[in-house]
Amino acid sequence: MTTTSDIFQRLHPRAYLERFLAEHVRPDGRPFDVGRDLGVNVGSISTADGSALVRLGNTTVVCGVKAEIAEPELDVGLQGFLVPNLDLPAMCSPRFKPGPPSEEAQVLSDRLNDALVASHILPLTSLSIHPNKAAWVLYVDAICINYDGNVFDAALIAMVEALRNTQLPKATYDEETGRTTCSRKIKVPLELDHTHLPVPLSFGVFDSTHALADPTSFEEPLLDTTISIILSNTNPDHLISVTQLGAGHDALLSCIEAAKARCREIVGRDIYK
Amino acid sequence: MQSGFDRRRINGPEESNPPIFEDEETPTWNVGIPRRNRASFDIRPIFLQPGLTNQATGSAYIETQNTKIACAVFGPRQAKNVAFNEKGRLNVDVKFAPFSCDRRRAPMRDAEDRSIAMAIHQAIGPSVRLDVLPKSIIDIFITIVESDGIEGCVAAGSIAASTALTDAGIEVFGLVASCSAAAVREDIWLDPSLRESQESRGILVLSCMPALSTVTSIWQTGNMSTGDVLACMDACNSRCTDIHSVIAQALLEST
Repeated sequence: MTTTSDIFQRLHPRAYLERFLAEHVRPDGRPFDVGRDLGVNVGSISTADGSALVRLGNTTVVCGVKAEIAEPELDVGLQGFLVPNLDLPAMCSPRFKPGPPSEEAQVLSDRLNDALVASHILPLTSLSIHPNKAAWVLYVDAICINYDGNVFDAALIAMVEALRNTQLPKATYDEETGRTTCSRKIKVPLELDHTHLPVPLSFGVFDSTHALADPTSFEEPLLDTTISIILSNTNPDHLISVTQLGAGHDALLSCIEAAKARCREIVGRDIYK
Repeated sequence: MQSGFDRRRINGPEESNPPIFEDEETPTWNVGIPRRNRASFDIRPIFLQPGLTNQATGSAYIETQNTKIACAVFGPRQAKNVAFNEKGRLNVDVKFAPFSCDRRRAPMRDAEDRSIAMAIHQAIGPSVRLDVLPKSIIDIFITIVESDGIEGCVAAGSIAASTALTDAGIEVFGLVASCSAAAVREDIWLDPSLRESQESRGILVLSCMPALSTVTSIWQTGNMSTGDVLACMDACNSRCTDIHSVIAQALLEST
């Protein structure tokens, strides 16, 4: 049913949000600094080597890891590959069209890749099977099923949880035949750095005064600044990455403090159990 | 698998191959012995939930054991840049997640998802009242999160699409239920898994509107006698009545 408030929201989104913020509450009833419910479900996809489903409010991201074998790059013969990609298919929001990755998907994939690299979560040398001959390639593909804002946080958590869930078969390289064979019986988890798992927390600044934690898809287009803070799971005082897109000076520090508090709250309870 | 260089994605090495296993997978079931885990005419339990993607006009998520499919419906929207059409148009777009099959699917459009899209389009097309939606387009997007046999995907995809259309409030003549059957040796097995369909002589997918007792589509492949085909159709048809009540129940519970 379409009510008058729905029509007002559609026609004057900015005024609609302003009216709520003036009352110190957001359209979905949250205070400014509170994130949405976070749920994680791991290992439900049997065709993937590791998988995770993350729900952040209504935003839903599924991530699966597929492992393949390739020849390492010539200059780094001891390293494997980590290939993270985020897909925003047309089904997740009316904003996206079918076809090649949209600009938003490209930017998000790039930021996710940067976050995984910056956190040093997985040493690429641990993916080596035989120097210069064979190494694992981990394709970490995340797909957004429902786009309701803050896909970056949901996708990064989904990727890390999927990597934590990943088990690789034991691989051996035969120097005579030059072939790599694997065993179905012996499976080993990845050598992840469990002390520095990235905990992403994003904020949006509206009208350069209100910092809104975990913005929804309705709030996102109205924000002038987006701040993404990535903390370490074991020590919330350890910053892994801080990104600010857009202007604004005084919001950053208060966002970092809010992120630390939220990080302590969710780690162990909702994520990285 | 070569995905080719695409600067719009994060790229891996130019060439990579799925692992080769020295020991064969221990078969859970062998040809010749009776079906494991369920009777010949049993189908896998269906979990169906409408309205999972709240950004869409209508949506549904279906899970039948290992087959997991999400479907979203957008529209009806105005058809632009096309000649006037008295009837609406139905667009079906199917996408496999890269991790949905045993072998990774590089993100490129391959032929398989288009043939599945066509099969689903045929299955649900006759049920939609396109005559009341002139000049419009309805988009149905389907993402296969995990696949366990193509026929299962077509059947589950059709059920999800029909549920999502109803969830979107688009007028339909009736709900479409769909079921697959495989002829394995002398027996007929309903809703075969990937492993079972590999051992079968032929497979048939029947889609129908049980409320109107009309068949909307039949898709048969392989080597089957007329008797086999008729027996499969009968078996599917009676099972579709049960599936129909599952869909109706799911829709009732979601409202």
